[in-house]
Amino acid sequence: MSTVIESGKNGNDSRLADMAAATREAEASGAAGRELSKAFGDFAEERREYYAGTFLNIQRNKLSALNLNLAAVMGSFVWAALRGNWLLFWVAFAFDMMAAANLGLVYRYHQAKLAAELTEKDYLVVRFTEWTASHLMAAVVIFVIGRLIVGWLANRVYYKQYSAWRVNSSTNWGFKTRRLILAGLILALIAPLTLYRSTQDAPTPRDCVKLARAMQDGDSVTAKQRFDCAVLSEVPTLMWFDRPDQYSYPRNDDGTRRVVVKEVKSTRPVNLNVWLSEMIDQKIDYAKAFYGYIFDSITAVLRSLLNAIEAVFVATPWPVTAGVILLVAYYFAGPKVAVFTLGSLVYLGLFGFWQTAMSTVSIVIASTIICVVVGLPLGVWVGKSRIGSAIVTPVLDIMQTIPSFVYLLPAVAFFSIGKPPGILATVIFAMPPMVRLTALGIKHVPESTKEAALAFGASPRQLLMRVELPLATPSIMAGVNQVVMMSLSMAVVAALIGAGGLGFIVVDALGQSEIGRGLLAGIAIALIAMAIDRIVQRANRVEE
Amino acid sequence: MFRLLTQRAAARELDDLMNSNTQTMSHSSAPNAAVDPVVEVKDVWKIFGKRADEALAAIKQDNLSKSDVLEQYEAVVGVRDVTFDVYQSEVFCIMGLSGSGKSTLVRHINRLIEPTAGTIKISGQDVGSLNRKQLRELRADRIGMVFQNMALLPHRTVRDNIAFALELRNVDSFTRSQLADKVIDTVSLQGYGDRMPSELSGGMQQRVGLARALAADPEILLMDEPFSALDPLIRRGLQDEFLELSKVMGKTTLFITHDLDEAIRMGSRIAIMKDGVIVQIGTPEEIVTQPADEYVADFVQGISRLKLVFAHTVMLQPDAFVHQGGSLSGSEYWPSSSSEADLDTLIGQAVGCDTPTAITDDGKLVGVVTKDVLLRGIQGES
Repeated sequence: MSTVIESGKNGNDSRLADMAAATREAEASGAAGRELSKAFGDFAEERREYYAGTFLNIQRNKLSALNLNLAAVMGSFVWAALRGNWLLFWVAFAFDMMAAANLGLVYRYHQAKLAAELTEKDYLVVRFTEWTASHLMAAVVIFVIGRLIVGWLANRVYYKQYSAWRVNSSTNWGFKTRRLILAGLILALIAPLTLYRSTQDAPTPRDCVKLARAMQDGDSVTAKQRFDCAVLSEVPTLMWFDRPDQYSYPRNDDGTRRVVVKEVKSTRPVNLNVWLSEMIDQKIDYAKAFYGYIFDSITAVLRSLLNAIEAVFVATPWPVTAGVILLVAYYFAGPKVAVFTLGSLVYLGLFGFWQTAMSTVSIVIASTIICVVVGLPLGVWVGKSRIGSAIVTPVLDIMQTIPSFVYLLPAVAFFSIGKPPGILATVIFAMPPMVRLTALGIKHVPESTKEAALAFGASPRQLLMRVELPLATPSIMAGVNQVVMMSLSMAVVAALIGAGGLGFIVVDALGQSEIGRGLLAGIAIALIAMAIDRIVQRANRVEE
Repeated sequence: MFRLLTQRAAARELDDLMNSNTQTMSHSSAPNAAVDPVVEVKDVWKIFGKRADEALAAIKQDNLSKSDVLEQYEAVVGVRDVTFDVYQSEVFCIMGLSGSGKSTLVRHINRLIEPTAGTIKISGQDVGSLNRKQLRELRADRIGMVFQNMALLPHRTVRDNIAFALELRNVDSFTRSQLADKVIDTVSLQGYGDRMPSELSGGMQQRVGLARALAADPEILLMDEPFSALDPLIRRGLQDEFLELSKVMGKTTLFITHDLDEAIRMGSRIAIMKDGVIVQIGTPEEIVTQPADEYVADFVQGISRLKLVFAHTVMLQPDAFVHQGGSLSGSEYWPSSSSEADLDTLIGQAVGCDTPTAITDDGKLVGVVTKDVLLRGIQGES
């Protein structure tokens, strides 16, 4: 029975193979082939025969690996523009522009060499001669290789364009001279300035500020200088502002503050950057002077939280702390992690990092507590309410794109330096994953499970506490893990604003080029991070 | 309303209920119109979309079709002017294809979905007039629901899942586990109380779903395609078990299915839904023998009539039999049957017998079933 089926199948296979072979032959010589060639030719418009043949070879996998389109090699971006392939146009144009810019540099360094020869500075002559030669070399190499790459790409990219054209007839096709207009416009926009820049020494922003001052003072400047500053240097300053008045807020005798305005005598106007920076400083000073009690009370809360945690970690004798940490690691994460934790603790003790490390850990724990307390309800709100999601999600997006460094600024602005602002910056940095992962967990609770709970008479509160939060727990715990890790990384950065801890040793060592000391502290940070990560992660896994 | 006061009283009450319901009306008997219905659904409309009210007014005025409403008001008609009653201890099947609005309809009974228009009454009480607290009490105490995808809580044991409704009503833990264990016995899940749902097979999980619905001893069961996700053998087993349970417990049940075979097996009455409208309501026999329109007729075409059609439907009156040239002489020697006998029984009697079958009532001849009549009856064209 089975043999009959087998042979039948084989028969079918061979018949199929025969049919395929027959079709192939028909394509090569017969009607199907002619029709394809005509489609290829219609697409190419000019040099129909060449492209019909090339495309047929591509379809049959017979295109030689070294196949070059000579027209494209010669015409480069002009060829690409005529054929309407703008992707290849930009590639070809970039190669040619790079080669041309190198030629420009050859001219520039040759001029410099001539000037150096006049002043008889031999070392400059040697340097500029070398540079001239190397840029000339670069120009030739880039030009030749670029043309070869374009010529090699041309047929292959053009065939892709043909495929796109088959699907969508509005794709560029044919050989149109009107496309040269656009190509010419692009060339006119890019080439002259770029080439000019390569032949000139650009003025520094400082030169340009001097130039602007000279113009404000009414001194004469050349048109070339103005042009160079406007085009080759920074984007020119268009708006000038009077320097804002200076405000100060001294205390009266009864302890209240008054506002004192001091007009600035400086005559020179300032640009937008300076003007706005000073305005912002003023507003912050105002807020600190008149609403200082808000910031002071936040600082007080943060400090007392941190003091409580530090009392446990720093003030407890090290054998006790170490023993408890090891027990926690063993109980929650098992013997392997406990051994790793022991190793890390030994390292900290051996190199005298114990107190500093505990101070860093205190900051991490304080920030984690705040992140969870604030982030969990926020995450629930985002997960359950469309309004909450609309408000919080964009803020989180922005928070996560801002580099950690930048968070130090607002913290310093309102809370000056020290540990409380360090915790604050850390909290802001580490909060987003808590909110996001909580919201994600809440959103992923199946609609049907929630419906079932409602059908059995759950109130909204019961739904949240007994269904949604328990089902979201794995996601929430992942959030906590993230928060811990991000807190640690930020607590190190926060050393820049005086949060102390291991980060401070690294910052200090960097400032004094003591690489060895910094490296040892860095390893300590890494060990702490790995130990915490393993303990938290294993603890999660065991729970699941 | 909540009756589970003490553990002992609760247990006693559960026993009483089970005993008393053993003698309740038989499963397939037709509803008695004189009895007040347990569930009354009257003129219920559900239209989804922001402009549902406008759309409803327009439909009532211009009799728009489903696609017109979608086009003009961006609203979807889920349920269209549905009225029906469900009586004590009845298994009322709602049969329809996916998208016919059957699941939407049943969610109106416990107000998981608010109707756009119309009223739903349970034991005479308007569900729409309940405040939130009353509604939660209604859901927890009086209506149990079973879902197609089980919707069990994965982080709780089987027992805690079953006791969920009780827990929501703040029943103490001891009473909860007592009651849960009773229901675990009822659905034959002995020994699985401390397992997690993920350790159970699909069929077992749905038993848990059923037990959860029964735990608070509700009057009404809503079953939303409970057996559809199971494989055929397990489905059949659970259907049989549920029928047995249903006879014993006598819960008023609304049973949703997309499978006509299942509807006929389970239902004392069947409502057939299409595009949000109930096309026909009737006993399984009525649906099969007198389909209301082409749509229903198409549906019942493939259904075996052997157990659904009874002698009184197909039999010839004795006069008509004589009129067709038959002779009643010797009819006392014919095999005889009651008018409630189904085609299957009649065929059994007719096989190997040359005479027609006599249909008698109290020994009196009321009808005659010839082989022609039987064949026509099976074919469905009388």
